[in-house]
Amino acid sequence: MAALVRISSVCHRGVSPLLFRSSSLIRPLAVQKKDRDCPYLISAKIHATPSNYAGSGSKAASLHWTGERILSIVLLGLAPVAYYYPGPAVDYTLAAALTLHGHWGLGQVLTDYVHGDFKIKMANAGLFLLSTVTFAGLCYFNYHDVGICKAVALLWSKRLD
Amino acid sequence: MLLTTVARQGLCLSRSQFGVLYRHVVPMGTTANEEMNKFWAKNTRLNRPVSPHISIYKWSIPMMMSISHRGTGVALSSGISAFALAALVLPESYPYYLDLIHSMTFGPQFLAFSKFALAFPVAYHTFNGIRHLAWDLGKGFKIPEVYRSGYIVVALTVLTSIGLAAM
Repeated sequence: MAALVRISSVCHRGVSPLLFRSSSLIRPLAVQKKDRDCPYLISAKIHATPSNYAGSGSKAASLHWTGERILSIVLLGLAPVAYYYPGPAVDYTLAAALTLHGHWGLGQVLTDYVHGDFKIKMANAGLFLLSTVTFAGLCYFNYHDVGICKAVALLWSKRLD
Repeated sequence: MLLTTVARQGLCLSRSQFGVLYRHVVPMGTTANEEMNKFWAKNTRLNRPVSPHISIYKWSIPMMMSISHRGTGVALSSGISAFALAALVLPESYPYYLDLIHSMTFGPQFLAFSKFALAFPVAYHTFNGIRHLAWDLGKGFKIPEVYRSGYIVVALTVLTSIGLAAM
């Protein structure tokens, strides 16, 4: 009679499926199929803070996510710029973008695999140190040595002896 | 049992089996981060073993590509950090060390292979990164689309790496 259904994502017209997640449903329900084979989900427990509720809680995580995507796009655009207009401006921009992209990326890896308050703090401190040294090293290289763009060009210019 | 659903700006009306009508959803008092920490704190405190998951689940192409995206990302980041560290520590300049390594290379194939080995993770991470950005826009989630975009990423990676190695 009643079917136990476990649903792991919500699909709503006009809303990205990534925004909502429902916990597993452990009560009888029937799912109605609506347009575009997009089932509407019923849940009494929705882990979401809709924008029409005055949110307690900051938007920091959300803004961080958006920042990560914007940085990725910037880095994508930097590649052709670095190829066609190599020079110190691109070198330092590349140093910053690469370091930050890596820092945030590794941060997500740590968030996924490291648990426990102390361990998380230690891991993030270590990451911060690594990223700082990385950026310092790249800037040093840009200033005192040939720079990132030239370094890649030199490496690629090496041919058979 | 019939349930009617109405969607209104992302909220759902629902009726539980007890006939209670939830008009609105109450925002959770805790963040996802806090809940995740609570989960881990409780389970480590109770010393519970982790159920087998990646050791028993059948591997799929999307799974492999996902972990490869992470793997190439970590590898590239480590490489950049190692390079930066070397720049700070080593006494000589980059052209000096480049020529040093070049004089040690074992023939032209080694050179082409090295270029391929460097280009491959960059190309893969870049193309799969674009695939990720498409997902972030909400596109391409249907399973056939996931596989198709995955194959395209792999094909582009191989072609680009070969092309770059030939330059």
